[in-house]
Amino acid sequence: MARTSLRSAEDRPSVEELEDLAFELRSKLLHLCGTYEGAVHIGGDLSAADIFTALFHYGLEVDPSDIANPERDRFVLSKGHAAVCMYITMAIRGFFSYDGIVETYGKLDSAYGMHPCKVQLPGVEASTGSLGHGLPLAVGMALGARHRGEDHRVVCLLGDGETGEGSVWEAAMAARSNELGNLVAFIDRNRQLMTSFAEERVVFEPYADKWRAFGWNVIETDGHDMAKLVAAIDALPATDSDRPTVVIAETVKGKGVDFMEHNLAWHAGSLGAADLERAMASLEANRKKETV
Amino acid sequence: MPVTFTFGEMLSARSVIGTTLAELGAEHENLWVLTPDIGATLVEFRDTYPDRFLDVGLAEQVCVGIAAGLAYDGNIPVVSGMLPFLSMRALEQVRTDVCYPNLPVKIIGTHGGLVGNGGSTHYAVEDLAIMCSLTNMTVTSIGDPLMVGEILRQSMSMRGPIYIRLAVGKKDMVLYEPGEHEVRIGKGIVAREGTDATIFTHGTVVAQALQAADELAKDGRSVRVVDMFTLKPIDEDLIAQCAEETDGRFVVLEDHLAYGGLASRIADVLADRGIHLTAFERLGIPQVYAGFGEDEELRDKHGYGLDATIAATRRVIAAQS
Repeated sequence: MARTSLRSAEDRPSVEELEDLAFELRSKLLHLCGTYEGAVHIGGDLSAADIFTALFHYGLEVDPSDIANPERDRFVLSKGHAAVCMYITMAIRGFFSYDGIVETYGKLDSAYGMHPCKVQLPGVEASTGSLGHGLPLAVGMALGARHRGEDHRVVCLLGDGETGEGSVWEAAMAARSNELGNLVAFIDRNRQLMTSFAEERVVFEPYADKWRAFGWNVIETDGHDMAKLVAAIDALPATDSDRPTVVIAETVKGKGVDFMEHNLAWHAGSLGAADLERAMASLEANRKKETV
Repeated sequence: MPVTFTFGEMLSARSVIGTTLAELGAEHENLWVLTPDIGATLVEFRDTYPDRFLDVGLAEQVCVGIAAGLAYDGNIPVVSGMLPFLSMRALEQVRTDVCYPNLPVKIIGTHGGLVGNGGSTHYAVEDLAIMCSLTNMTVTSIGDPLMVGEILRQSMSMRGPIYIRLAVGKKDMVLYEPGEHEVRIGKGIVAREGTDATIFTHGTVVAQALQAADELAKDGRSVRVVDMFTLKPIDEDLIAQCAEETDGRFVVLEDHLAYGGLASRIADVLADRGIHLTAFERLGIPQVYAGFGEDEELRDKHGYGLDATIAATRRVIAAQS
């Protein structure tokens, strides 16, 4: 079944362009983290930045000028603490004003808060933040789409840490039981929880096998290799197939900034002016390294 | 199917749910019914609208989460199950996934109160306190089985969520003749007129309150019974009116913790409005995890059975003003 497309193929950015967009996203995230006085969940924002970019600029059928289009793909951010990464991604894509985000983030009456609220910010699909809640919501949306004969996809982004929540696995069973091939879960597999590394206190492995055992179609990929993310998206089965798909994207928490990578201290935090400069320098240097 | 049951007959609230949902399913193409493995009464809906029926098995959290996901996209989901689990295990989904975005999810279930002889794992005794604390939630507790259908029907046009509490729903006393009272969410029902005192009650023990009033009438006492089936939003005006018309003498009877349910909601209204009563007694479940026994035995044991209701009402009427 051919999916309804909300834009022409030539509007879809190339891998190189996507890499530039991801760099822009990271720069803007760091800028916010350097100017906003409160904590930003920068570690998990940076780990998910390439996934967000690949989805919103390449994978998802969405139209910033028509946020209620019934044919749009639905995106549910289950790891709600990465809200600002979603806001900025969506701003770059044309949904919101980036200046509006920077000026009001976290302030009284702002639509842009630490965790996304659909009531306050139309354009996001669900109010999330409490972990383990997004996938059940996405299952409901996918069921509704199936029932109405719509061919859009429902995509849910989870952190690997949050898959410790039992409700995720309830949803995994429900998705398989209802043969929801229109449902895709992306896992930001950064292997860090807030206060520990994966496997230290909680054993996740064999992780892909867990999803396979629940009857899901599993795609494993590198969550920082844009070409591979694009390939994973291209490999998603048709929405009328009968298996939900999980894309397990291997990532690094704090990706792009040396002193944040693999560092439990940077689950969330705020950069001062000096650290912002240091972070930006590291981001630039790492980009050069990759392009060499 | 027109309902022809009359006062005093026994009828299953569960069968009313089943019939009503099947009816509503025809009127509303976006009505879904979801259950965590408590689907026996939903057979009619399931067989008529299999593609809008979802039994997720034993998984209350995902059941409510899926309902919220469906509601986000314009559907009207009804979640039917056992209330101890829907109100507690799935509480965060109810609060955060349903109430926070104010989605039109209906939660309807059984086992409200010390009913069903399942023991304290299977008695929902804190549920009304919990649900009344949730912003956007409308909270009801229904005794008359025929009313269940009417409440479901009315809830179809509600923008936000509603909680509908039943007892066991297998054999319930028909309390009202159809059309005898106006049934409207948010308005209490004066089930029996009286001037000496008011018994406020809800759910399965409305029948017991009416029985107590009958007994007291034999002594010439005129006791009003108010079926306060909507706990939130509470009918404040009716409370004020009863304070005035029944000499400030109130008994609150409920199959729920004595503190945190209807008695507390009424006490809040009295305090907020500065209404002074002559006497106030609350009859409900004390701070115990009740054991096993039949419904009436448990109510007697824990101090809110028929005799206790009669005695409390007498005390309230006899209190010095």
